[in-house]
Amino acid sequence: MGQTMAEKLLSRHNLANAPAKAGDVVEARIDGAMCHYHASEPMHQLAVQMGFKDGLPRVWDPDRIFVLVDHHQPALSQALADENAVIRKAVARLGIKCFHDAEPGIAHQMMLDYGLVRPGELVVGNDSHTIGYGALNAGSTGITRADMFYVLLFGELWFQVPKSIKVILSGRQPDYPIAKDIILYLAGQYGDDFAQNMSIEYSGSLVPQLGIDSRMCLSTHGVEVGAKFAMFPGDEKTRAFLERCSEKPYEPLIPDPDAEYEKEIALNVDDMPFVVAKPHQFGNVAPVDEVAGTRINQAQIGSCANGRFEDIEIAARMLRGRKVAKGVRFIISPASQQVYLQCLKAGLIETLIEAGAQVVTPGCGVCQPRVGFLSDGEVCITATTRNFKGRKGSLNAEIYLGGPLTVAAAAVAGAIVNPREVFHEL
Amino acid sequence: MSFDLNRVIRGRVWKFGDSIETDAINPYYRYPDAEELKKHTMEAYRPEFPGEVKPGDILVAGRNFGCGSSRPGLVLREVGIVAIIAESVSRLFLRNNIARAMPIFMAPGITGIVRDGETLEIDYPQGIVCNPATGTSVALRKFPPLIEQVFQCGGLPEFARQRYLAETRRF
Repeated sequence: MGQTMAEKLLSRHNLANAPAKAGDVVEARIDGAMCHYHASEPMHQLAVQMGFKDGLPRVWDPDRIFVLVDHHQPALSQALADENAVIRKAVARLGIKCFHDAEPGIAHQMMLDYGLVRPGELVVGNDSHTIGYGALNAGSTGITRADMFYVLLFGELWFQVPKSIKVILSGRQPDYPIAKDIILYLAGQYGDDFAQNMSIEYSGSLVPQLGIDSRMCLSTHGVEVGAKFAMFPGDEKTRAFLERCSEKPYEPLIPDPDAEYEKEIALNVDDMPFVVAKPHQFGNVAPVDEVAGTRINQAQIGSCANGRFEDIEIAARMLRGRKVAKGVRFIISPASQQVYLQCLKAGLIETLIEAGAQVVTPGCGVCQPRVGFLSDGEVCITATTRNFKGRKGSLNAEIYLGGPLTVAAAAVAGAIVNPREVFHEL
Repeated sequence: MSFDLNRVIRGRVWKFGDSIETDAINPYYRYPDAEELKKHTMEAYRPEFPGEVKPGDILVAGRNFGCGSSRPGLVLREVGIVAIIAESVSRLFLRNNIARAMPIFMAPGITGIVRDGETLEIDYPQGIVCNPATGTSVALRKFPPLIEQVFQCGGLPEFARQRYLAETRRF
């Protein structure tokens, strides 16, 4: 019997040097560990609790640990500044070389910007959206802070080899991003845990048409449907992307033709409507037409799911010569400094500001109750990761998730609307 | 804190629905202070929970419990919850509970045999969860041996500490 991508990944990294199949529990060798602002817990607090009074006594390999102090950069409070200081000290003591603590941005995007992930690698991070690097054919997944304590010491971790689900995407990529609509549509059709504990393998004729930004959106949202991994095959686009940022060799994961899948689901995007997730769950999905007319107070584009160039580019393209509706707060947060710079150089930021949008520092705040809180009764439509109750402050606010095009249309109309009704050039 | 999987757990049930997210379990963005956090856990779904939960209570939930971010649910232990039992558990939340040895079990059918406020008995060695008042029961899923070992050890950090000390002890 052939192997899926996940089975290949965990066979290659199996400490027992034996083939691994779905269901097996293996101890696996880790290629890279991403720590963000939670790093102080495994490096310090947990270590002290475990009797190491000066903090973590060692790391297994200082070259394979990447610390990117995101989420709260620049520090948003005294407590966070103090926590960042603990991380700085631990990083210096442990000799970790890859350390970004003076640059705002989302760790997951910076991992890509700085070429820290390659196809075929097993990469873990203490954040659920670590799964996003599957866009580059990496086996990456979120782990807990306590798991990270183990990883930092030994460079190993237990995994249950997941069953795999094949998601076959076909149809034509329009000249605007639809990745968010795809994953929301799937969550609406098959439930918000349709890939629980499984590995998603994306395939089909749409895949070569999807850029890395769209793939990152789809892989990142793997966790919103329960997945352990969410991987794309490596192709010419993967190679071109890596050529710019990494010189290290890699061995892609290619599934065997006779690999066994738990299930296969197919979607032709030509037949797919624009969709949104209604409050307060990712799987509470409806065609945008069904909620058209819902007045909004805030619109947002950002996060590890939708803070990339293509997300900001479509908003700028559509807002050129148009204005954000009076009273609507349209907040854009690029995913990293590199993305921000790319948008600036392309003139997108100027266009957005002229149209009445506000651009905030790269980071995670826009997807959390950190930047742009909502008050009781307010409505927000956002191209970010989650719409849970209270995600943006008030438990009595309503958050809709949509793609960047749908968000831009709502920002202009002042209400949720089918983008085709606002942007006639589509 | 170690947890003996061989101990039978009995307690009063707090029942919740499907896809309860870690933002609701651990709303630390809104309440960064640990004491304050305890007063707000699960309030998004049941405002009375933080005030009325008692030490020894059991939390029962539907499918996909603990979805969302990688935040741990230790606050539930701090307010007195002794075990979580759900139709299914989100992968990362499950990892968190294993790593911190917080008793968590998956028992398909569980929401059908118990009502809010009733008593539940969880017998891991026998692989069964039972509602003594009605006599109904469902099977719970056993963990692989490695995971049982992590539970018995008191969690992954403790497991790591023991391994580190064993490997670095040189006489």
